[in-house]
Amino acid sequence: MPGEIFNPNPVVFSAPKARQSDLLAHSLWINDASASEDEADEFEAIDQDEIFDLIRSIYDPEHPNTLEELRVVSAPQVTVGANHIKVEFTPTVPHCGMSTLIGLCIRVRLLRSLPERFKVDIFVQPGSHQSENAVNKQLNDKERVAAALENPVLLDTVEQCLANVGARGTLV
Amino acid sequence: MADISEDRTTLINVVKALGEYLTSEESDTLQKGVELLALIVARSPKEKLNRQSARVLTSFFVGKLDDTATIKPALAGIASVALLPLLTPAEVTSIVEGLFQHVKMKAIVQDVRFKVFSIIDSLMAYHRGVLKSMGTRFITGYISLAEGEKDPRNLMVAFAIARVILIEFDFPAHVESMFNTLFCYFPITFRPPPNDKYGITTEDLRMALRGCLGATPAFGPLAIPVFLEKISAGSRATKKDTLQTISACLPVYGSALARVSARKLWNALKLEIFQPVDAETEEEALKTTQVLVKTIYLDEEAAVEQNEDVQGLARDACEECINILKEPEKSQARPATKILCAFMSTTPSVARYTISQAVPHLCRLFHNPDEISSRPATLVLLADLISAARDSMLPEKVQAAEADLPLAPYKDEVLGVFSVGLTSAITRSMALAGLKAIASTRGLLSDDELGFIVHNVDQIIEGNPSEFVDQSILDVLSSISEYAPRFVAEQTLPLLFSSLPDQAPSRQSVSERTKIWQTLNALKNLCIQQELFESLVIRLTTKLDLLCFPASEQAQVVARDTEPSAAYAHMILKTLAQALVTKVKKEHLDIPKYIDRLVPSIFNLFVASEYLSSEKVMIATEPRLIEIAAEIITLVVQSLPVQRQRSYIIGLSKAITTGNFKDIGQGFQRIGNDRELPIFNPSGVPRQRNLVVLLAACVISLHKEVRLVLENLANFLDMLLNWVLDIADNDLQRYSALHIVASTLNKQANELDSFLADKLDVYWSTFILNSNLPKERRIWAIKSWIWISKALLVRKHPLALTFTERLYDAFGDESIGWEASKAVGEIVSADAILTKANHAEIKVLFVQKYVGAILPSLIRFAKNSDESSRQTASLVALTSMIRFIPRAAYAHQMPLLIPLLLRGLDLPDADIRSNVIDTFLAAAEGESPGKSLISEHSVTLVNSMLKNSKVGEMTSTKVRVAALRYLAVLPNIVRYDVLHPYKATVLRELATVLDDPKRSVRKEAVDARTNWWDASVFRSLMVLIYFRFKYKG
Repeated sequence: MPGEIFNPNPVVFSAPKARQSDLLAHSLWINDASASEDEADEFEAIDQDEIFDLIRSIYDPEHPNTLEELRVVSAPQVTVGANHIKVEFTPTVPHCGMSTLIGLCIRVRLLRSLPERFKVDIFVQPGSHQSENAVNKQLNDKERVAAALENPVLLDTVEQCLANVGARGTLV
Repeated sequence: MADISEDRTTLINVVKALGEYLTSEESDTLQKGVELLALIVARSPKEKLNRQSARVLTSFFVGKLDDTATIKPALAGIASVALLPLLTPAEVTSIVEGLFQHVKMKAIVQDVRFKVFSIIDSLMAYHRGVLKSMGTRFITGYISLAEGEKDPRNLMVAFAIARVILIEFDFPAHVESMFNTLFCYFPITFRPPPNDKYGITTEDLRMALRGCLGATPAFGPLAIPVFLEKISAGSRATKKDTLQTISACLPVYGSALARVSARKLWNALKLEIFQPVDAETEEEALKTTQVLVKTIYLDEEAAVEQNEDVQGLARDACEECINILKEPEKSQARPATKILCAFMSTTPSVARYTISQAVPHLCRLFHNPDEISSRPATLVLLADLISAARDSMLPEKVQAAEADLPLAPYKDEVLGVFSVGLTSAITRSMALAGLKAIASTRGLLSDDELGFIVHNVDQIIEGNPSEFVDQSILDVLSSISEYAPRFVAEQTLPLLFSSLPDQAPSRQSVSERTKIWQTLNALKNLCIQQELFESLVIRLTTKLDLLCFPASEQAQVVARDTEPSAAYAHMILKTLAQALVTKVKKEHLDIPKYIDRLVPSIFNLFVASEYLSSEKVMIATEPRLIEIAAEIITLVVQSLPVQRQRSYIIGLSKAITTGNFKDIGQGFQRIGNDRELPIFNPSGVPRQRNLVVLLAACVISLHKEVRLVLENLANFLDMLLNWVLDIADNDLQRYSALHIVASTLNKQANELDSFLADKLDVYWSTFILNSNLPKERRIWAIKSWIWISKALLVRKHPLALTFTERLYDAFGDESIGWEASKAVGEIVSADAILTKANHAEIKVLFVQKYVGAILPSLIRFAKNSDESSRQTASLVALTSMIRFIPRAAYAHQMPLLIPLLLRGLDLPDADIRSNVIDTFLAAAEGESPGKSLISEHSVTLVNSMLKNSKVGEMTSTKVRVAALRYLAVLPNIVRYDVLHPYKATVLRELATVLDDPKRSVRKEAVDARTNWWDASVFRSLMVLIYFRFKYKG
């Protein structure tokens, strides 16, 4: 971990519990078993909640909090197209030197968890970082990402941030 | 030896006989002599040793201590002698002196040292006075003996001795040396070696040492610096141990010392709380802080009357925390609040002080217009604080007078803050949490104030009805309803009931329907308390009646599309059922009375609907409604005592035998005195037979002693079995009839021997083996067979296994072989009918008995059988059974089972495949890379799981999910070097599964792929080491 701490005392938010889209599900009959729905032939497309589920439990490189708790990422900041995904994230402070690393973590996670047909763009929320363009450029340049992942120390840090990524917000 | 016990010879004679051995100059001979004597003494009965011989033996053994050859047996001898209560002070002194002078601890091995410690331990037990009188001499001697001891077994004894010395002996001059001998062990880092035969754990040593450290206040000034150093420097385990030790020691060391070192300790603790290594350490640090504060303030409790009197640590710490709380939205505010909450359960004065500081501060902050953005965070902290204040009150004085509650002076202010918080959407949920905390503090709020809260909350419900599905609102209301149901009943319930329409909304109005369901949901959670539930039952049954028997103009509308109305009625019944389930869980005593209120109106509703259904469309004939109504009936009937069931049974029997529901179905609708619904009669109307579900609901929950009024029980059951095959029109009816059969058989099996014999001989061959009958009919005969066997099995009836084993005969059958083999599994499956709650007769370990008998024969069939159909059938039976039985029941057969299960993965049935994979998953729990049963099959497993996880090859979502879960587990249970060859394939194949149409499948695919990404030699090693620790450490 680098010596400098960019934001020693970040604001922590409590994480909301349920999927937004689940709350809206209803039918004529009230059924407590959802198992039958599983076997239905309905096609469930990848949506923003699902992408958010994948990245919400990534740890912040500086704090023992998840990106969700620090409101670095949120479901509305994810846009899903047919074969295209755009993720925006908000660094906790505008001078955050960790932004690139956070973006890299998100990229690695999505790289491993999404079908290959998707093109993923990762941006810093416009206006939330002082060197926005540089970060964006670095995160969406294939070569640079590949180069960064060749670096064992960096890869190790990324793996640490991804350590508990399977929790998907169930651990609050 | 026996001679001494029986007085035929004496020790003197032994000594005489040993004569030359005991005096020999040659060390070998001498050693043997002393050893023999020591053994004899050890085995002699205590009462045979008189004072005389004790003295002689003592001086003899002590004399042998100076010789390295004889020291071992001599110590053994002394160890036996030291157990004698009749030793005189002189001998005790001479033993101790002997030990101090001659025994060089560094020169002898650990089990001999153990003897030395045991001797002192025994002397401590029997001759403590003598040792005390030796004073300084003993203590210095002992310190030099014990110094440098390393063996855990010896340390356990040494710590026990040290504790006695510290507590009982006078040792002012030796505090420091005692301190040094003991504190060099702190903290204990010992880890027991593998296969430790003494079984001493780190925890044992820790506790023993902690007992010593906290044995005397004299250690205090010396100990605190050590503790401080260990906290800041140590590892996690050390930190935890140190914190716990401080908590244990501080009260002994006393308040004076605590006060002096408070600042230093607090600084160290603060660090652990604000920058915790992990949650556990943080919690320990908080506990230690509590102990510290308690120690400081407990004895001056009486003197503290004014808040201003709280000085020192608590004041400083409070101020510090409140300073941090000036920015309540920052991450440091959480730990600060935790500290303040911890202060609540220390001493009353500190709690009072903390509240007087923190609560007004947070309230001010809330009202400060500059801090509006941090309002949510402020409320969270305030709510935490109040619930901590509430919890600190609970154990001692539940009925505390209002004035005693530390929160009392501020309650208006707090209430005001929360009420304001309620008005804004952002702060609402936090405000509700706070209100819940404040409302559940007993004795704090007056009735008016409770009414005020309920009123405020009701306003939210009125204001935006879509939002009150929120659980937190219900929490507030239900915590108030627990001890002041009046307000909820008078203010909230009318509001909720009035929002329920009398007619169902049309099919299209989704939002209206959602609102109804939310309202009912709220009611279900709220109306658990006795009075509230009563009014719920009254209002909802009325509503049901209006729904099911609409006035004529409305009836036209309903008749056009009955489904919305039926669904609405279903929701209402479901609400009642779920509220009842909660009440049953909470063991409420008012459930039985609903046999007179709720159950008759349910019968009335459905019976009357059946009468009228010949004339017009009735919604209550819908099977789904009947099913849920049956659930309600079962819940009520099973709560009845035997006596009440007996009186109820008369009307019930009448309904069953004649179809006359007059006695059990009184309600809003008129049921004619002599109209009958002949359910079990072939001439009846098919639809009316659905009522059997309600009857079954009653019968299955009867006590064993309560019996239906019937002419002949066996004939009744036979009639039901035939009814299932010949008359019943749908599965619901058939299963209900079978439930009656099973439940009755289970409770009255003793009188049904001939019935059972008839089933084995006649029923089996006529209805099941008879291949001339249609397949459907034979399948139902098998289902009947399952329920009969189940009823017998759970009570361990001797015929239970005979019934099951009959099924083997049908394995080869073309049309029903598959069903018969699945039945073997279903017999042992758990069900909701034969349960303790339904008063069924259930014996322990019936599953184990069943598995013990059936599993080996199934394995045998599956392996050896000549016919392939029979082999497959046993495989099917095996896989369907294994799902229902606990892992322990088949774990020992696993090596035999694995090849069979792998074959099961090729069977076409999706259910079976998912069973097999689930079995593998269950078996994986106990596996580790070190000893894995499936390691050798990993190629087959990986390939088969990959195949089963692809949507193109496996259509069942369940199987795909299970297969992916197993793939995810594999890297944890198989050594990485085995899996390495497949890693690339698995990652590549899983990449395609990531695009599965089902969300649940994709989720598992992501997890599985992540696990395979992470899998590497290093990780596999870590897992291996982890398991070593887990099982050996």
